[in-house]
Amino acid sequence: MKKYTITLIRSLFLLFVLAGCGEDFLEQEPTDSISEEKVFDSYITANSALIGVYNQLSSFNFEGLYNPIMSDIMGEDIMINSVDNWNWFVPVYQMNVLPNYSYIDNPWWSGYKLIHDANQIIDNAIFIPDATSDQIDELTGQARVLRAYAMLKLAQMYSVAYSKDPSAPSILLNTDSEITDSGFSRASLTDVYEQIENDLLTAISQLDNNTDKGFFDKRAAQAVLARAYLDMENWQGAADMANSASEGITLMTINELYSGFNTRNSETIYSIAYTQEDNNVYLSIPSFYWPVAGYSSMRANDEFVNKFSNGDARKGFFLKVAEIDPDRNLIVKFAHNNAVGNAERICIRASEMILIEAEAEAELGNYTNSQNLLYRIQSRANPGVIKSTATGQALIDEVLLERRKELFGEGFRWNDIKRRQLPFVRTGDHWVTLSFTAQDPDYYRLTFPIPQSEIDANELLSNADQNVGY
Amino acid sequence: MLFYLLGANVIFAQELAVEGKVKDENGEFLPGVNVVIEGTTQGTVTNFNGYYTLTVPDKDSKLVFSFIGTETVVVPVNNRSTINVTLKQTVQELESVMVVAYGTTTEEAYTGAASVVDSKVIENRPVTSFEKSLQGTTPGLMVSSSSGQPGSGSTIRIRGIGSLSASSAPLFVLDGIPMSGSITDINPNDIESITVLKDAAASSLYGSRAANGVVLITTKQGKAGSTKISFNSQMGVSQRISKGYDLMNSTQFYEHSWMGLYNQALINGESIDDARAYAHANVKETVGYNPFGVDNPLDNNGQLIPGTQILTDTDWRDEIYKNGIIQNHNLSISGGSDLTKVFLSLGYFSDSGITLGSDFKRISNKINVSHKINSFLEAGLNSHLSYSKTNAPPSGSGGANPVRSAEVINAASPVYNEFGEYEWGNKAVFDFNPVGLAELDQYKYDTKRAVVNTYLNVKISPSFNFRTSAGIDNSINNGLNYYNPYHGNGAGVNGRTATSNTDNFGWNISNILTYSKATNNSYFEALIGQEALGQDVSILSAGVTDFSVPGRPELVWGSKPGQPSSATYSWTMASYLSQIKYDLNDKYFFSTSARMDGSSRFGKNNKYGLFYSVGFGWQLTQEDWMPEFKWLDNAKLRVSYGTSGNNNIGNYASLGLYGSGANYGGYPGLTPTQLANEDLSWEKIKSLNVGLELNLFRKLDASIEFYNRNSNGLLFARPLSAGTGFGSIISNLGAMKNTGVETALNYRLIENKNVFSSIGFNISFNTNEILELTTEQIVSGTKLLEEGSSIYQFYMREWAGVNPDNGRPMWYVNADSDDREDNTLPSSAYEDPLGSGRNVTSDYNDAERKRLGTSLPKAFGGLNYSLNYKNFELSMYFFYSLGGQVYNNDYATNMHDGTQPGSNLATDALNAWTPNNRYTDVPRYVKNNMDESNQMSSRFIEDASYLRLKNITIGYNFPSSLYESLKIRNLKAFLSGENLFTLTKYRGYDPEVAINGTTSNTIPGTKVITLGLKVEL
Repeated sequence: MKKYTITLIRSLFLLFVLAGCGEDFLEQEPTDSISEEKVFDSYITANSALIGVYNQLSSFNFEGLYNPIMSDIMGEDIMINSVDNWNWFVPVYQMNVLPNYSYIDNPWWSGYKLIHDANQIIDNAIFIPDATSDQIDELTGQARVLRAYAMLKLAQMYSVAYSKDPSAPSILLNTDSEITDSGFSRASLTDVYEQIENDLLTAISQLDNNTDKGFFDKRAAQAVLARAYLDMENWQGAADMANSASEGITLMTINELYSGFNTRNSETIYSIAYTQEDNNVYLSIPSFYWPVAGYSSMRANDEFVNKFSNGDARKGFFLKVAEIDPDRNLIVKFAHNNAVGNAERICIRASEMILIEAEAEAELGNYTNSQNLLYRIQSRANPGVIKSTATGQALIDEVLLERRKELFGEGFRWNDIKRRQLPFVRTGDHWVTLSFTAQDPDYYRLTFPIPQSEIDANELLSNADQNVGY
Repeated sequence: MLFYLLGANVIFAQELAVEGKVKDENGEFLPGVNVVIEGTTQGTVTNFNGYYTLTVPDKDSKLVFSFIGTETVVVPVNNRSTINVTLKQTVQELESVMVVAYGTTTEEAYTGAASVVDSKVIENRPVTSFEKSLQGTTPGLMVSSSSGQPGSGSTIRIRGIGSLSASSAPLFVLDGIPMSGSITDINPNDIESITVLKDAAASSLYGSRAANGVVLITTKQGKAGSTKISFNSQMGVSQRISKGYDLMNSTQFYEHSWMGLYNQALINGESIDDARAYAHANVKETVGYNPFGVDNPLDNNGQLIPGTQILTDTDWRDEIYKNGIIQNHNLSISGGSDLTKVFLSLGYFSDSGITLGSDFKRISNKINVSHKINSFLEAGLNSHLSYSKTNAPPSGSGGANPVRSAEVINAASPVYNEFGEYEWGNKAVFDFNPVGLAELDQYKYDTKRAVVNTYLNVKISPSFNFRTSAGIDNSINNGLNYYNPYHGNGAGVNGRTATSNTDNFGWNISNILTYSKATNNSYFEALIGQEALGQDVSILSAGVTDFSVPGRPELVWGSKPGQPSSATYSWTMASYLSQIKYDLNDKYFFSTSARMDGSSRFGKNNKYGLFYSVGFGWQLTQEDWMPEFKWLDNAKLRVSYGTSGNNNIGNYASLGLYGSGANYGGYPGLTPTQLANEDLSWEKIKSLNVGLELNLFRKLDASIEFYNRNSNGLLFARPLSAGTGFGSIISNLGAMKNTGVETALNYRLIENKNVFSSIGFNISFNTNEILELTTEQIVSGTKLLEEGSSIYQFYMREWAGVNPDNGRPMWYVNADSDDREDNTLPSSAYEDPLGSGRNVTSDYNDAERKRLGTSLPKAFGGLNYSLNYKNFELSMYFFYSLGGQVYNNDYATNMHDGTQPGSNLATDALNAWTPNNRYTDVPRYVKNNMDESNQMSSRFIEDASYLRLKNITIGYNFPSSLYESLKIRNLKAFLSGENLFTLTKYRGYDPEVAINGTTSNTIPGTKVITLGLKVEL
C-alpha cells in the first residue's frame, strides 16, 4: 500500500505542477526496451546491438538451420525424409516451391532484418560518445561482415548465378538505415557484389584477428570475400583471400572430423556460438541430421556414398541401421553435444578455404599448387591417397567433387551447382528424382522466387519483377 | 434569553394533535410519506397503512407532505384534527435522475443517446458479471460470451465495431473512476444502475477513450433513515446450455473406421477381398482400442456381428461435463442520517463450473460512505475490494483442452485401464486423457482487486460547486500453470510450471468546477475540469522444468529454471474538459462539450487531441403550435454530433525501440523491434445521432434512434518492404463506418391496485463497412478484409455437396470470382451432377474463394415481460439475434471424413457416401482422406440466428403479517432460470460464439436454475 500512497502523493504533486512539466509527464518508455536514440549513447549498448545482429544471423530461419539445410537438399547428395518429419522442408527438397511458402519468406525477412540492424550500427557507431576509434572500427567492421555475409547468401538464393549474367536483377540493396517509407528495386548482381566486396574490403582494413571464433574477424572477412570472388569468377581474388583466410591454420585431425562438428576447433574461422538456453533445440542441424533424438530425417543418397573410396575416413559418416531406416544411409557427421540440439554450427572453416584456393589455382593454371592444396584435404581423410596429377577441367572437377565430399551438410552444394551452371542430376535412392541442364527451363528451380509478401508490400516491385518460372 | 423565549413559546402555544391518512391518486395508501411542520424540522413518516399522527404547535401551522415521485403538498391545519391528503404523482415521470459523464442530469433535459439499466435487471442473476445480464436490455449494445468458463468476461460492443486492429471495447467507469482491470470482479448485487453512453453528446466528454462508447457503473449508496439490513441467498444448479450434436458411440465409430480402411484400400486399387482383409487387420490400430470382447467383432461388411458384447462405450462428454453448483450470498447494510450515509456489502459467489477443472469463487466487499462536514463541504469514499480464484483449463486446439478432448476422443477409448488407472493411449490426443489431466495438471489464477475513490465536494456558493476526486484501481493477478511430469504437455520435460504475477495499477485525479443558474424559464450550467490519470502494469514471470516430487507445482520443486522475465508498462494522460448546458422553457435543450487529451501513447507530433460535441433536444409537445393530441403525452427530438477517440493503440506504439533478449553466445543482445512513427495518434470517430422519444396513450414509451459513426485513422500495420528491416509499421490508416437504427418500446399493459404488467421490446440494426485500407485485400483465416465489406466477412470456397457418382466432395468453381485473376475454367471443372447448372470441381485448389456474408447479426434485441400481481412477481427477458453466421470449426473437426482417423465423429457422419447411399451431403469416408473435403469451405458455415429466454424469475413476497413480529421488513423468495430455452437451427452447443463467428472448443454456455431468499431487516 505504501507504494500506492507514494504514487498518489506524487500524482497529486504532478497535478499541481502539470502546467509546468506537462511534456515530461506525457513521456513514457517501456522498461523491457530501449528507445533507438539511446542505443548509440554508449559503447556498451551499441555492442549489445551488435550481439543482437549475430543473434539474428544464428536464427534457425537463417544460418542456424534453414540456409544450410536447404542448401544441401537443393542438391544431389542429401535428402530429407518424406515421412516422420512433420513435413519440414519437403517442398524445398522436391524443388517445387511457391512465393508464399515460409521457406521462401523466412530467410528473406530474417536476412533483411539482419542487414537493417547492421546498417544501424554502420551508420551510427561513429556517434557513440564514449567509444574509442578502435572500438568503432571493431563495431562497424563486424557489422560490415555481417551485412556482406547476409547479402551474399540472399543473392545466392534469390538471384541467378553471377557467372551466368552479372547484369541480372538480384536482391534489394538497402544500406541506409534511415529509409523506411519508400520501396526498393532489385539491384543488379554487379551492384550487389560490388557492395559486398566494398564492405568486406573495408572490414578487412578495420578488423584484426580474434581468438573468439564466435564473432567475425579479419580472417572471416577474407573468407567471405573469397566466397564472393568465387561466385564472381575472380579467381586471383578468390585464391588470395582464401589463402589469407586459412594461412597458418592447423586443420582438424582425422579424429576431430568425427567429433560431431558441434564445437569450434583449430580450423574454425567462424562458428555460430549456439547456446541451448535461448534457442529452439529441435530446430538445429543435429536435430535433423543425427539419426536419433530430434527429427532425425536427413539421409544420404546411395550414389553419393559410393563416391567415397573405402580408405576414406569420411565414408564413416554414413551408416545403415535397419531399425531406424531399413533402406537409406543415415548421416553421423553432425552430432548433439550432450543434449538434444545443442551444437555450435561451424559456418566457415579452413578446409573450405583450401578448396576455394585449389579451385581458383586450377582455373588460373597453377596446377601444381592446386594439386597440393587438394591433396592436403584428401590426405587428411585418407592418408594413403595418391596425389592428383590431373590438370585443366579434370582437376577442377576433382576439386568440385572434393568439395561435395568434404563439405556436405555444411550448406554449399546448391550454390556450387548454380555458380558452375552444372547439370542437376538426382538419381539413385532419391524419392524425388530430377534431371535437367543449365539450358533447360527447369533450371529456374535453382533460384528461389522473391517472396510474395515482399512484392505485395514493396511499391517498387510488381509481379513482373518475379524471378523466371514463378 | 433564548431558553426563556422557547419556554414562553411552549407555554403560550395552543398545541394540537393531528392525524390522517395519505393516499395516492389510485386510492392506495402511501407508506413512508414525510410529514413535516413547515418551517421546522419536526415531523413524522406515514406507516404501512399511510397513517400518521403528530402534534402541531398551533392551529395555524402548515403541514408539508412530500414523497418521491409525487407532488409536494402544503396543507394549513386550520384547527382540524384529521387531515387526509391525496398526493398526485408528478406528471413528468420522465424526470428521473440519471448518471451521465461527470455528473447527473434528468432524462428530460438530456441531449445524448444513453440507456439506463437499473438494479432490478442485474440483481440476483446467477452470473459472475453484470454485463451478461445486459444482453437484450439495451438497444445497440451487443454482448457476446464465447465461453462458459465461470468468471470469464464477454465481448461488449456498442453500436458496431469501431476499430480494425485496436480494441473496440467500451470504456468502463466505476463510480467515476475509469477501470483499469477486469469488470468481472464487480459484484452485480452492488450495482445501483448502469448507464450506457452511446452517442457523441453522451460520451464525448471522455475524449480519446470514448470512441467505442462508455459504460458507467454506479454502485448503491446509503440512504438517510433507519438502517436497512438485507440478506439474500441463492443456490442453483448449472448445466451446459444444450446437448449439442450427437457423437458416435463405440460401435458406430468402430464400424465407420472399418469402412474408412476398406475405402482406402479400394482407392489404392486393391480387390474387394484384399480391402476387407486390410480393414479387418487394421481397424483396431486405427481406433486405438477394440471395445468388444472378441478379436474379430465385425462381419465381412464391417458390421458388428449381432450379439457381440460391448465392453467399452465411453461418453467422453459425460466424463468432462458435470452439473455445476452456483452459490450467491449477499449481505448489505444501508443507512445513515442527513449528514452521513453508509452502504456496506459483503458478497460471496461461487460457481463450481460445468467442466472438469474449471471453477470460480469471488468474495467482494463494498463500502460507500458520504459525510456532510458542514453546510458547504461534503466528503465521501467509494471502495470496492474483491478476491477471486479461478481454475480455467486452456481452450483452443491443444491437447490439454478438455472440451476439445470430449469431442475428439472416440468412444472406444476407455477412461481407465483394467487396473483402474488412467488410460493414456487414445488416438485423438495421445497422452492427454482429460480426466487424468484434470487431476494432475493445474491452471490456477487469482485476482485481488481494490478500487478506491475519494472525493471532496465544495459548495462554494449556490451557483458554484467544486469537486475534487482521486481514485486508484489496483488488480494483482497471480497465475500458475503446472504440467505434470508424466503425461500431456509436461511429459517431454519431466514436468513444467509457469508462473506469472501481474500488478496492474491505475490512478486518476480530477477537479471539476461547475456553475449553474436557474431562472423562471431557463437553466444554465457550465463545467470546466481537469483530469490526470495513468496506469502501470508490472509483470513478473518465471518457469521451471524437471520435477522430482509429483504433485508439487511450486517453482522450488523444479530443478531446471527457464528464462524469467519482468517488465513494467506505463501510460499517462492529462486532460482538460468543459461542458455547457442550456435549457429554455423546458422546451429547448442545448449542450456542448470539449475535451483535450494529451497522452503518452500518442506520437511526438500528435501529443494532444481535441474532442467536441454538440447536442440539441426539443420537447415538441411543449410547443404552443403543436396541436394537443389526446394520445400523445410527450414527444422529444434529439440531434447530436461530435468527435471522440480510441486510445487503445498500445502504450509505446509510436516509439522506435530496441528490445532485449536477442542474446548470442552467452552475451546479452539488443535488437530493433519497432519502427518509430512520431505521427501516431488516437483513432478518430465522428458520430451523428438523431433520436425521437414518444410517450403515447400514457402507456407506451417508444424511442427510435438513427446513428452514423465514421471512424478513421484506424490503427493498421502497414506492410513494408523487407528492405526497411521491418515487416510493417503501425499507422493511422484505416477507416470504417457503422450505421444503424435502434428502437425500444415499452408498454404498460395493466396498471392498477393489484396488478402491474408491462412488456418491452427492442431491436437494433447495424451495418459495418470498411471504408479505407492500405492494402486492397487482406485475407486472414476465414475472413477477407477489403474496402466496402464488413470487418467480419467470410471468404472461402463454396461447398457444392457430394458427387453422387464417387462420393468425392465438390466445390463451386466460381471462376468469375476475383480470387484469381483469370476467369478460365480449370481442367478439373465439370458440370454439377446435382443439377445446379454451375461448374464444380473436386479439386479443392481449383475452386476460387467467394464472399459469403458476415458473422455480425443483421438485427438483435430483446423482449421482456414483467408482471406483479399482489405478492407475486414474474419477469422474463428474451434475447434474439438474427442473420449472423458462424464458421463451425468444432463441427468440422467432428466431420473429418477420415483425415483424423482416430478422432471421434458426429453421428451425422454416418450418412457418408457409399455406393448404396449416393445422394448425401457427407463425402465418402476414407482413412487418411486426401479429398480435402473438410478443408475450410461454406460446408461448415451455419446460420447462428437464435431466440433465447435469457432469464425468467418468479418471486413471492411473503405477506407482512407472517413476519412483522420478527422485526422483518420484507421476506421474498424467488426462483430464477437463466438461458433455459433456446430456439435455433445451429448445430453446436451454443449459437452465441465469439464475435468474429468462429468456434474454438470453448466451454459452452450454461443454463442455470437457482432458488433464492431475500430478507430485509
